[in-house]
Amino acid sequence: MGRARRGAIVAAVLIPAVLATVPATALASSATDQLISRLNRQLLYIAVPIAVLVEAILIYTIWRFRDNDDPKPTRENRQLEITWTVATALVLLFVGTASFHVLADPAVSTISDSPHGEPEPGEVPEDAVEVNVTAEQWAFTADYPNEGVTTNETMVLPANRTVYMYVTSEDVIHSVHVPDLGLKQDAVPGETNLVRTELSETGEYRLYCAELCGAGHPEMLSSIRVVDESEYDAWLDDQRSGSDGSTSNESTASNES
Amino acid sequence: MIGPVPGVAVALGALLVLAAYYRFRADSPPTSYADGGIVTPKIGLTTTEKPSGLLRWLTTVDHKDIGLLYILFGTAAALWGATDGMMMRTELLVADTTVWNVETYNAVFTTHGLTMLFFFVTPVFTGIANYMLPLLLDADDLSFPRINAIAFWLLPPSLLMVRGGLITDVVGTVVGLLPLEIAALTALEPVAMGWTMYTPLSVEMTNPQIDVTLLGLHLSGIATTMAAINFIVTIFTERPDDLGWDELDIFSWNMLVTSGIILLAFPLLGSTIILLLLDRNFGTAFFAIEGGGPMLWQHLFWFFGHPEVYILVLPAFGLISFMLPKFCGRRLFGFRFIVYSTIAIGVMSFGVWAHHMFATGMDPRLRASFMAVSLAIAIPSAIKEFNWIATMWNGRLRLTAPLICVIGAMSTFVVGGITGVFLAAVPVDLVLHDTHYVVGHFHLIVVGIIPLAMFAASYYWFPILTGRMYNRRLARVQATLLVVGAFVTFVPLLVLGYLGMPRRYGVYPAEFVPLNQVASIGAFILGVSLVLWLVNMIQSARVGTIVDDADVWNLKETDQFTREWQWFEKRLAERRSERPDPDEEP
Repeated sequence: MGRARRGAIVAAVLIPAVLATVPATALASSATDQLISRLNRQLLYIAVPIAVLVEAILIYTIWRFRDNDDPKPTRENRQLEITWTVATALVLLFVGTASFHVLADPAVSTISDSPHGEPEPGEVPEDAVEVNVTAEQWAFTADYPNEGVTTNETMVLPANRTVYMYVTSEDVIHSVHVPDLGLKQDAVPGETNLVRTELSETGEYRLYCAELCGAGHPEMLSSIRVVDESEYDAWLDDQRSGSDGSTSNESTASNES
Repeated sequence: MIGPVPGVAVALGALLVLAAYYRFRADSPPTSYADGGIVTPKIGLTTTEKPSGLLRWLTTVDHKDIGLLYILFGTAAALWGATDGMMMRTELLVADTTVWNVETYNAVFTTHGLTMLFFFVTPVFTGIANYMLPLLLDADDLSFPRINAIAFWLLPPSLLMVRGGLITDVVGTVVGLLPLEIAALTALEPVAMGWTMYTPLSVEMTNPQIDVTLLGLHLSGIATTMAAINFIVTIFTERPDDLGWDELDIFSWNMLVTSGIILLAFPLLGSTIILLLLDRNFGTAFFAIEGGGPMLWQHLFWFFGHPEVYILVLPAFGLISFMLPKFCGRRLFGFRFIVYSTIAIGVMSFGVWAHHMFATGMDPRLRASFMAVSLAIAIPSAIKEFNWIATMWNGRLRLTAPLICVIGAMSTFVVGGITGVFLAAVPVDLVLHDTHYVVGHFHLIVVGIIPLAMFAASYYWFPILTGRMYNRRLARVQATLLVVGAFVTFVPLLVLGYLGMPRRYGVYPAEFVPLNQVASIGAFILGVSLVLWLVNMIQSARVGTIVDDADVWNLKETDQFTREWQWFEKRLAERRSERPDPDEEP
């Protein structure tokens, strides 16, 4: 019992220390981010104590049995083996179930019905924003088919509306990676993959390419600016009138940072 | 300047000369026995029968010599790959490219991966197994000594082919000083397609060195498969009658399962590489968009690639399970369950490959099933860790350098393993995939448990290999430094991944600089540790204390004086009877 208590004390000291190093996620920025961050937090709440506990037991074992005068021969213990196997299985079963629930959410798992063909707009709700995101060496192009707007600068999206991004590539495999929005989708040539989410926090989010695509890979950066409805409309008008100089400064500035 | 047709003629001529030489040799009576081990199968006296000098090492088919060659080759490859690693961490000290350019950085991480995976880890473990398996099994040699030698000698040329771009660069620079122009040398650049060689990028890159590298990888796959077949046959057929499967030592068990995985996985890599070569050079469409599609490459590659992960780590598990009890003064806890878990890992390793592809837009139902197997494979891994701790519990721990390595391996494995569970969970993986988190996760295994198991083995069996003892204090410092270095380097990478920094970025946003600098400092600690190990090994092999008593680790008192040490004791006794005792000299 004394051992267990000491172990618990060690764990109690170490857990907050380790948790402090884990980056705290602030308010969710998108529906996807909210789901994934919550799942990630749940997993951390299990994983960090387990890791700390096992490491603590390991250190305690070394400390206690180092040059032990009274070693005992090994005796097999089938019950113990079964216990820790089942315990591990139960923990992983929880991880699997929790992950599956998040995976099943449309904001996380999005497949378009015909990955090799054109996206079918019939399924998309009326007020949704549709964007065709095309990656090529080494830039992203965003095309708003319903608005007649195309930009290869910062992609501007409205908050609180469902966004449908159809991601594809012109040449090699790229990946649309917006960590702060919880979004990642590989851009595969010849396939169109769907990313569906709802953005909730306005702000500027960095968009990386996350799949090695040649010499320009680390400089294949862009950004997504989430704005409110009126600003979005203003931006669309601005783009239609052909002046795309207003956004270029910002995106190059973020590239050089 | 040799044109393409004369080149073929030269190769043909060389082959003809080689054939004529062998024809000539076949007629003449054998003048020397390269293989002393077959003339006198009595182990321990073989050295007197072998040719001396360089010829011995070039012609040997003795498993111990080949084992040493493997270990030396693997160490050389590790130093080369580690240099790549140091170059990367130096580049990442700053956010932009002040040290090397992006192309060099891309080349360096590509060759770092290829060198470490194919030419460092597996050769070193094959070398240790080469040396120790026959001794542990009480066999004269491996089943096929000559295949063993071929398997080894295929590796150096394949390493040179894989790393060719750099070599031709260097040779080209040297030759360039002379009034000669050799276009072929400058055309080959170090490969920069990433070790995963994703199509269409690897098809579209024009660098002809990629073809040479692919051929080199194919060759190394043949070598690895041959060695694996040798181990399987040896373990099945060379055991004495009284050594049943239940008595087989845990390291041999792990090598058996590893070799089984190699036998099933490596031929697939070979075929896949051939398909890529055809796509690159002969206009086939296996991975073209209008043909098999880019996803086919990823499926085929990772169907090899994930079992490969366990090919790398299972021998390390085996070594740890083997050595840990020796320093705890008691038998391994749950031997049977550790064997079961090894087999379970071997089987399940073929059912997890698509977890590398969760972000490609796969059907969620497929993703869910691969998530299930990927989570399940964590169970046998956890079982091992628990059994190791239970082995230590109630034992008498002797904190020698090998045990420090083993404990360090166990501690890095906890973090390395648990961080892997996050990547198995599809939604979390979607955010972390292709970020530095992944790099941190798998490096905690490949710079944690794998080299630590090797270092532990190098210290544990050093007396058998050299007849001398290493510097114990330096070894303890080195082992501790490596564990510290591994955590300092790779935990910051985990955090960087959470912050979103993608991997394979030679240039990166400024906010990631501090954590990258911490990681680089950790990498330099790792480098220092590696140098300390190297100094200790070389210096101790030359002038270390000569071992007179074979029971270096006091294994007799706990009844763990296993066969390889018994063999060593016998050899020491034979040596002593042959020569005058050096201690008696004034």
